[in-house]
Amino acid sequence: MDNELTALGIIFTEFYYWVTVVFMFLIHVGFCVYEVGASRYKHHTHTLMKNTMVIPLVTVTFFFFGWWIYFAFVNGPWLIGPLVDAPFATPWSELMGTHMGNAAIQDTLTVDDTAFWARINGVFWAAFLLFSWTAASIVSGAVIERIRPSAFWTLAVIIGSFTWIIDASWGWSWNGWMVQKLGYHDAYASGVIHAIAGGFALGVLVVLGPRIGKFRADGTPRNINPHNPWLVTIGLFLIYTGFWGFYVACNIPIIDVYGSAMLDVADKTFFSATNIYLQPTTLSAITFNFLMSLSGGLMVAYLISDGDAFWTYSGGLAGVIGASSGNDLYHPIQAMLIGGGGAFLAYKMHFWVENKFKIDDAVGAVAVHGYAGFYGVVMAGFMLWGYPSSPFEGYAPITPWGNFLGALIMFFVLGFFPALIASKILNSMGKLRIPREIEMVGLDINHESLRAMEAEEVAQAIREEAAASSS
Amino acid sequence: MSTGLVDNWLNVDTFGPIYPFVGTEVFLTIAGLIFWFGWHVWQHQKESAEFEADMENIKKQGGPGKVLEAESSREMKDSVG
Repeated sequence: MDNELTALGIIFTEFYYWVTVVFMFLIHVGFCVYEVGASRYKHHTHTLMKNTMVIPLVTVTFFFFGWWIYFAFVNGPWLIGPLVDAPFATPWSELMGTHMGNAAIQDTLTVDDTAFWARINGVFWAAFLLFSWTAASIVSGAVIERIRPSAFWTLAVIIGSFTWIIDASWGWSWNGWMVQKLGYHDAYASGVIHAIAGGFALGVLVVLGPRIGKFRADGTPRNINPHNPWLVTIGLFLIYTGFWGFYVACNIPIIDVYGSAMLDVADKTFFSATNIYLQPTTLSAITFNFLMSLSGGLMVAYLISDGDAFWTYSGGLAGVIGASSGNDLYHPIQAMLIGGGGAFLAYKMHFWVENKFKIDDAVGAVAVHGYAGFYGVVMAGFMLWGYPSSPFEGYAPITPWGNFLGALIMFFVLGFFPALIASKILNSMGKLRIPREIEMVGLDINHESLRAMEAEEVAQAIREEAAASSS
Repeated sequence: MSTGLVDNWLNVDTFGPIYPFVGTEVFLTIAGLIFWFGWHVWQHQKESAEFEADMENIKKQGGPGKVLEAESSREMKDSVG
């Protein structure tokens, strides 16, 4: 890079994504804190480790194949075209390591690819990777206290490094087939992260079954309250904070929207931030809308849950998720009202599904992420009806039916069904659920027994010491 | 002599990859995949052994009911000092 302005643009973009990644780390911190707060003490260590180990397992698999899938699967593949070459995203690509952007060794790389991806690959990869952790982490909360950790980690890799990134390739990239053919619009991932993760969690829950004691003999549910509600609320606050980073990571910070053969207008230049579809938006707009949709969600959830802390906080999250699809373009008051609708739907649907189908979603993840995410995508289809879905010529416009079909693909095709099939396979091998006796006494029984023995030994030593001092 | 393609920084404007052992990427990928998959296998074995030990522990203490009873009496003892 020998041009100062080009260098500044590229290194600013590199730094921009890096900052978002650090912010998004808080989502995972929040989920871990939240789950420990929601679980009972006899399951704490396993609950914490179950979600913590998502970090390395999804990270390495996202390096090995997730990142490549994002670029290679934009056509399906074979739905509207073949597998696409992505030589900069294979795990053996030299551009996945430290690189100065010049003389490429591997002959599959072009000069432009090499210069661009040498700087952006790691931070862009990490921004997507943090979404992958989130997708897996959403599922983690729903299944606490009875899933085998090994089964969960297999499922985490399936959603974190496989199905979610297929949906991103299809509906959350500038050239995905869903954008081209359906006009699918989901700027801040109501569907591509939340609906798919909620659908996936539901697929697992159907096979996994409820926690022991969740339902009475007559089928009515018991409330298993969070072990520590304050920890749950701190966790949700951390998730809100990380969500800021997530929003910012969904944008491309600076691009000439008349460049790169997007808008074919001669002699024009217009620099702006864009969403992932390369449509112009501003950080300012999404900041308005993030906060207004959060507020709408909190206000509605507070009222309908009679001020219940757990559901008020969750409703705030459902508010943001419900408006996220169109939060690049909505007016802030629209975002607030749509967010309120997301919280209302999540709350009502959670209890309806729990009662009707005896689904034990321990943290309301299916409702907050799945149903609110689905609703968010559908709402954007109506609200943004007729908008172009892309700056490129020939793409379908945004429509209610395009986004509705997209929501079905996210929730069911890539979320619910893959989880159902994988869970059934694991279940048939006896590898999905922990043994009943262990569930009753707690996953941490050996840790707890050892801890009790050690505490008793220390107490005994102190008693002996005290007796010796008194005599 | 250098393990990578860099033995000075005079021509950094012409450099491509600068990590050591350029050319071993495919081998590294295979080694990485084995490490990842092996981890799952090993963890699964450890988990099965852990659950067996847990079940043995529960049985030794007289079943889940007795374990829970013992636990609550321990808590009671804790709470009264």
